[in-house]
Amino acid sequence: MKRLGFYLKIYRKIVIQSFKSKMSYRSDFIISMIGMILTDISELLAFYIIFLNFPSVCGWTYYEMLFLYGFSLVSLTPLQCLFDNNWHLRHYVYDGDFIKYCFRPIDIFFYYISEEFDTKGIGQFLVGMGTIIFAWNKLKLPVTFINVLAMIVALFTASLFMIGIMNFAAATCFFLTNSGYVMVTMNKFRDYAKYPVTVFSTFFKIVFTFIIPIAYIAYYPSLVVLRPDHIPVLTWIAPAYGILFFFLSYKFWMLGANKYSGTGS
Amino acid sequence: MEYVIELKNIDKEFKVLNRHEGLKGSFQDLFSRDYKVIKAVNNVSMKIKPGEIVGYLGPNGAGKSTTIKIMTGVLQPTRGEILVNGQIPYKNRTSNAQNIGVVFGQRSQLWWSLPLIESFKLLKDIYGISDKDYKEMLALYESLVDIKELYSKPIRQMSLGQRTLSDILAAFLHNPPIVFLDEPTIGLDVSMKAKIRNLIKALNKEKNTTVILTTHDMGDVDALCERIVIIDKGTMLYDNDINHLKSFFGAYRTLKIKIDKHAEELSQDIRDKEKEQIENLLKEGFEAADFTVGQDEDFYSILIDESQVHLMKVLQYLQEKIKIYDVLLEEISTESVIRKIYEDAENLKKKE
Repeated sequence: MKRLGFYLKIYRKIVIQSFKSKMSYRSDFIISMIGMILTDISELLAFYIIFLNFPSVCGWTYYEMLFLYGFSLVSLTPLQCLFDNNWHLRHYVYDGDFIKYCFRPIDIFFYYISEEFDTKGIGQFLVGMGTIIFAWNKLKLPVTFINVLAMIVALFTASLFMIGIMNFAAATCFFLTNSGYVMVTMNKFRDYAKYPVTVFSTFFKIVFTFIIPIAYIAYYPSLVVLRPDHIPVLTWIAPAYGILFFFLSYKFWMLGANKYSGTGS
Repeated sequence: MEYVIELKNIDKEFKVLNRHEGLKGSFQDLFSRDYKVIKAVNNVSMKIKPGEIVGYLGPNGAGKSTTIKIMTGVLQPTRGEILVNGQIPYKNRTSNAQNIGVVFGQRSQLWWSLPLIESFKLLKDIYGISDKDYKEMLALYESLVDIKELYSKPIRQMSLGQRTLSDILAAFLHNPPIVFLDEPTIGLDVSMKAKIRNLIKALNKEKNTTVILTTHDMGDVDALCERIVIIDKGTMLYDNDINHLKSFFGAYRTLKIKIDKHAEELSQDIRDKEKEQIENLLKEGFEAADFTVGQDEDFYSILIDESQVHLMKVLQYLQEKIKIYDVLLEEISTESVIRKIYEDAENLKKKE
């Protein structure tokens, strides 16, 4: 294993270069950005319509729900921007092209993931940040150093969970021939991430907390600022669990990659 | 270190599920533990010296890729010993990767959307190439091929030839002792093929790099390889220098005859009939000998085993039977020799 600094240096260069090359296709860049923003705004509209009819959902007010939604958008940004290549993994594995990632003296997971930088996520990030700030103001949450720090840690934690889930889902292609639906299904689950886990039945509460931990993508971390008086234990362990979960997903991914031997050529 | 690559009795087996037919069979397969073992590589041994260019040949599915994957550390052999640059490749893939260069398959290993020079800069960081070595290498590249104009071009905008060129240069960039090239000239036009061959030869000379080359193009073999290794069905058929290969089959020569004045005006049907006529004539005249008759533009080519019958005798005989306008004599080409080796192996298998 090479040093972290080595990887960060290479990663920074790759991201800067891909960003440059993405920008050079200007219309493509702008249209994909606008598309992403429109998708997110249409969801916000749906939210608005629901709350025109119900004052609250399971004790959650409109602005609290908005906060969760914005939180989930921002925490999904790293997945969207940096880990998008996971979506192509099964094609590489199926065609035998994945072999090309095995010939460099660097970590295969790093090499593979770093190859793609998706700029679409930036639009999503902007909408998410806007929504959080708007909801934050309406909820009259105090802007303290602790609160801001808690938000940053919480967002970071939340990102790790979603990335971990998609790593697990993508790596199934090393073991299954038709693994596309695993990724699609897991990706669907992230739609549930924007709801407080209390709205689900006990069964799903347990599933979303321990098995497919999407409750950590917005709900548990954002409790730090939303309900500072009743922070559950699960919120406190979230950062550590997030790192562990990501690490396990990486191990699972690498297990698959090492099992892989190409399909001949 | 006397050898850069040493393989000793390498075997590689794959477990494959015995599939049953039909829908019912598919359900059986779901629970079946009925595996059969397929030997992709069977008792392969070879030693390769620094600076050699070795042509690694064999029909599709012969086990070439598997052997190369073993040598690059991607696959672990089932049995046998292997040393590459004095290391066991599968035990430490990354440190082995530092000392090899690979161009594998037709998909570029460079960053698809980045300009070539940026890919080179990234490789410089990844392999930890010093500024001095990097500059020297680029200067060498610039003296060998017109690469400067490609520097600012993203890989995705390149033609296949430019991409192959870039990939080969990228594989040599960190000056590895060994470079593996898997069908480097496939799909390229004649002039690009020549360019790539010259480049490989020049880099091999300049840096004394060992090159392992798999190809189906005998032009590559003739232009580059002094030594060839032939493998089929996982078993080594031949490992020696290329001159030896030709003298091994030196008894074969090709006689080409033209029997139509305006062959290009004749239909394929007539040409086929004429070919058959020649085959029949040869069969009548020389019962004990085997011939391979082919059609080569205006000529008909006859492969003759001179240990069975002398070429001049065949010519004399044919001249009495049919009118011949033109004659050519050819030593057997590398391509025919290798085809012969494949066919002989096939026949041997059948007899067993």
